[in-house]
Formats: sequence, structure tokens, C-alpha cells
Amino acid sequence: MQRVEIWGVIPFIYPLLAAVPATYEGAVPGTIFAMGVGILCDQLLPGPIPCLYTLIFPLVGLFSALLSKSVLRAGFLCSFAASAIAFFLTDGFRCIILWMQSKAAWEAGMDVMVREFWVTLPLAVPVTVVYRKIFRRTQFD
Amino acid sequence: MFAAAVISVAMAALSTVGATSSSPLVDLANTIVSPFREAYTAAAAWVGDKQRYYMDTTELESENAELKRRIAEMEEKIRDAEAALAENVLLHDLLNLREQRRDLSDIEAAMITEHAVTNWTSSLTLNKGTALGIEVGDCVIDQTGALVGVISQAGVNWSTVLTLVDTDTSLGAQMFRTKDLGVAKGDFSLMTRERLRLDYLPEDCKLLSGDLVMTSGLGGYYPSGLVIGSIEEVLLDDSGAASYAIIAPAVDFDGLSEVFVIKSFEIVT
Repeated sequence: MQRVEIWGVIPFIYPLLAAVPATYEGAVPGTIFAMGVGILCDQLLPGPIPCLYTLIFPLVGLFSALLSKSVLRAGFLCSFAASAIAFFLTDGFRCIILWMQSKAAWEAGMDVMVREFWVTLPLAVPVTVVYRKIFRRTQFD
Repeated sequence: MFAAAVISVAMAALSTVGATSSSPLVDLANTIVSPFREAYTAAAAWVGDKQRYYMDTTELESENAELKRRIAEMEEKIRDAEAALAENVLLHDLLNLREQRRDLSDIEAAMITEHAVTNWTSSLTLNKGTALGIEVGDCVIDQTGALVGVISQAGVNWSTVLTLVDTDTSLGAQMFRTKDLGVAKGDFSLMTRERLRLDYLPEDCKLLSGDLVMTSGLGGYYPSGLVIGSIEEVLLDDSGAASYAIIAPAVDFDGLSEVFVIKSFEIVT
């Protein structure tokens, strides 16, 4: 996936993996699962600080779960909205870190965030389909 | 007895009539048998054809299997040859580099297994790590001796390089022409264009577009004289008081497949 560059950016699926399950699972399990994804990402991906994803993804999970509970029913639309939240929080936090390191790049950061979101958004469809199946199967069991 | 004798005589007589053409009896017999003969011949030809087809098919199948086996063997040999060729090129480059830069005492060749994994960092993953003496902070260069980046993480059989244009990169730099010193730093606004900044330039420095920028080697963290890139443009910062330059790296990061890690070097004064 990382070798596919569209519109100058590579699709970044990990925020979706933290956000979409939380829309089905609810606040506590969704937040814990998102934290697990964050810890895994911190082990695999380079970042400006060692615990970037561990800090942000639980928030992504929590907000996504609250979104599905109070605003939108879990589904494709909710997954799209949760993805937007995920990218806003993750990339927004990166911009804040750059600013804290005296390397502020708000304009370029927002530009990358918007492009990254739109390029990755189509992947929310298969992620939602797969996770909905897993959720339904585990619920019936 | 008499009847039999009469028939025999009659047949002999009939057979002698018109010796140049077949006798009526032979003609009659052959006329009757002819369609059956044709049918038999056709059937025999069909059976023969089927036999040949079966034999040919069996032979072709075995020949095909043999050819497939030979193709697989040849493909394996080609793969081995390609790997040997790539290794040969790598070692040749390494030899050239060692001859050019005698101060780089210990160099390890490595292949790039992965390019950037996020849009917020510019990194490369190498196929060699601490098992071969690679450490965090080691410089990474290409076959021409141009600087690629610095090792930021190292595992047993892998390591991650933050390239020159990454926001966490900061190196002492020196202009080749004017000998002015500065600091080459990654900048997120320039990272997507694969460019970096040259900051802290002296007030009186007179940079020209195309000027070569090299590592200064000050502090002894990195070797001196590694090519960083060339000046693309000189600009004033937001305050308008100081100038900075945009550097175009000498390395084409997208085209890189092999690099060399400088594990140790002699400090040239």
C-alpha cells in the first residue's frame, strides 16, 4: 500500500483501523482496541515522538464510539465521519508536535491532512464491510 | 455331381470371357464388397488416427513436462544470475567508493526494503542492522558518495534511515565554493518537494544557485565532505533579517535501491 502514491500522498489506513471498529464496539472496547492499534503502529512506524499513535488512537476510538452512539448509527456514513475525526486528530497532533519543535508547518500540514484523508477514505468501505461482518458474527456467537 | 460339374464349367467359361477386363463374377463380387471395403478402410484409418493421436498426446505431455522442468531450472539460474549481477554491481560500487573515500574506514552495503511509510516522515528501511554493526546515528550514502540520511533506528537485521529531507534531520553543512558554514535542516513544507533548508548562514555569505553543499564534519558526528546537494534558491526568512537557502539533494530518493552505511570514519582536520 505504501508504494501506491495518489495525489502526492500514500494512503494511510491505520487511523481507519482505530476508528471504524470503535463505531461498532462502543466507547470502552473501542478505545482499548484503538490503543492496541496505536501501540502496534508505534512499534512499526517512524514518528516525531515514540508514542504518537498510542496517545492519539485511543482518542480516535473514543470519539468514534461517541459519534456512533449519539449522532450517527454505525455504518458507512458513520465510518466516513469517524475517519474524518481520525485524520483530524492524528494529523492535527502531528502539526502541533511540529509547532512545539519550532518547525511549524500548519499550511503544509493541513494540505497533507486533507489529501491523505480523501485518498484513504475509499478504504473505509472495505474496512467497514469486514469489521461489520466480524462484529455480527461475534455478536451472534 | 453333374450339376457341380456344370457350374464349374460355366464359371470357367465366364472367367475366360473377355480376358482384358474383370470377369462379371469378380466384378459383381467386388461391386458388392466395395462399400464395405471403404467402410473398413475408413474405420481402420480412424482407429489408426486415434492411436497416433493418443501416442502423440502422451509423447507431447511427457515432452511438455520435461520442457517445463527445464524452463523452471533455467528461470532459477536466471534468478541466481540476476542476484549475482546485482551483488556484483553493489560490490563494484563499494570498491569504487572505498577507493574514492579512504577516510570512510568501514562501510556496509545494504538494500532498501521499504520507502516512506507515512506522509509525515521521509524514511527508508534497510535490510541490515545491528548484527552487522550498524548503529543509530550512522551516515548513509549512495554509490556516488552523496548523503542519503542518518540511521534513526536499528534492529538485528533491519534499520531505518531518516532521509535528508525529513523534519528531524539536522546536519552541519559547508559551502564548497565559499567555505561558509550553516545548518542543513529538514522542513515539512519542503519535504513533499524533496528539498531541505540551509539555515544560520553568515550575514555576508554570497551564495549562488547551483553552489555545492557538503557536510562540514564539525563536531565529529558525521564525516566531512559528503555531498548534501546544491543551492536552489536563497530567500529571506519571515523576519526579513536573515537569509536561508533551499537545497536540492544530490540523491534521487525515489530511484534508490542500494545504499552504503558508514559504520566508522576517520576525522579529517
